[in-house]
Amino acid sequence: MSAVGVLGELMITLGVLLALLLVWQLWWTTVVARQDADAVLAEVRAALPPAAATTAALRTDDPPVPEPVGHGEVVGVLTVPRWDGLTRNAMPVVEGTTPDLLDRALAGRYPETQRVGEVGNVALAGHRRTFGDSFRYVDRLVPGDPVVIETASTWYVYEVTAHEVVDPSESSVLAPVPKQPGVAPAERLLTLTTCHSRTLGEYGNDQRWITYATFVGWLDRAEGTPEPVLALGGA
Amino acid sequence: MYAWLFRRLPGPLPVRLLLALVLLAAVLVGLFGWGFPAVAPHLTWLTGDPALG
Repeated sequence: MSAVGVLGELMITLGVLLALLLVWQLWWTTVVARQDADAVLAEVRAALPPAAATTAALRTDDPPVPEPVGHGEVVGVLTVPRWDGLTRNAMPVVEGTTPDLLDRALAGRYPETQRVGEVGNVALAGHRRTFGDSFRYVDRLVPGDPVVIETASTWYVYEVTAHEVVDPSESSVLAPVPKQPGVAPAERLLTLTTCHSRTLGEYGNDQRWITYATFVGWLDRAEGTPEPVLALGGA
Repeated sequence: MYAWLFRRLPGPLPVRLLLALVLLAAVLVGLFGWGFPAVAPHLTWLTGDPALG
């Protein structure tokens, strides 16, 4: 066979390899990551009695704040009713945002931010596309959409207020009062961060999509399940 | 190159076709299981760390 023929076959091989790499990234990483996240969720569920299957009015007094946990340990479970049927909902939230955690289709809490229920800002990171597509549909959230975090004892309900697209270095969105580092917080906020690109949308990673939410109330798991979660058929 | 490989496979044509498929499957399993996971973290244009800062 001629040298040109071999070169041609090598180039075709390279093209096929790149195509396979994309198949792996856009499809297979999500298959594997969701299995990992399902296993984590099953562990969480097995360790907890199911929440009361009735709804009750949200409480608006000071919520309990969970004990700190170590890196990689489960903080709670994130449910975004708007994402029901679109992505894998009931996402375990773990402590830390390192790739080894986020690549398992988990949401990660930035350890430098406040704890859930605390006055200030609890910020969570998740993948947009690949490795579970955790926060893929973040662009479908509209103001007023509930974002719910469930811990061993408590439901925390936040409502989306706004979003913005920032550069990946813009870590001031994680401040207790987002974009105002050093200012003492008075409100309980939640911030979701994920990848975004102005040109490639959900497929790009040159920017970050930031969604802000504000605390609206909490519920003891023994007293009931928040209405938007109950409407999904329980968590 | 691939034609040469195919000719090197032993046995009659159906056996060689089967062997070729097995080899291809082995390459795919190797790539999805080990190859791509090993190179992806180095391809920063492809895989982004969604965390900030």
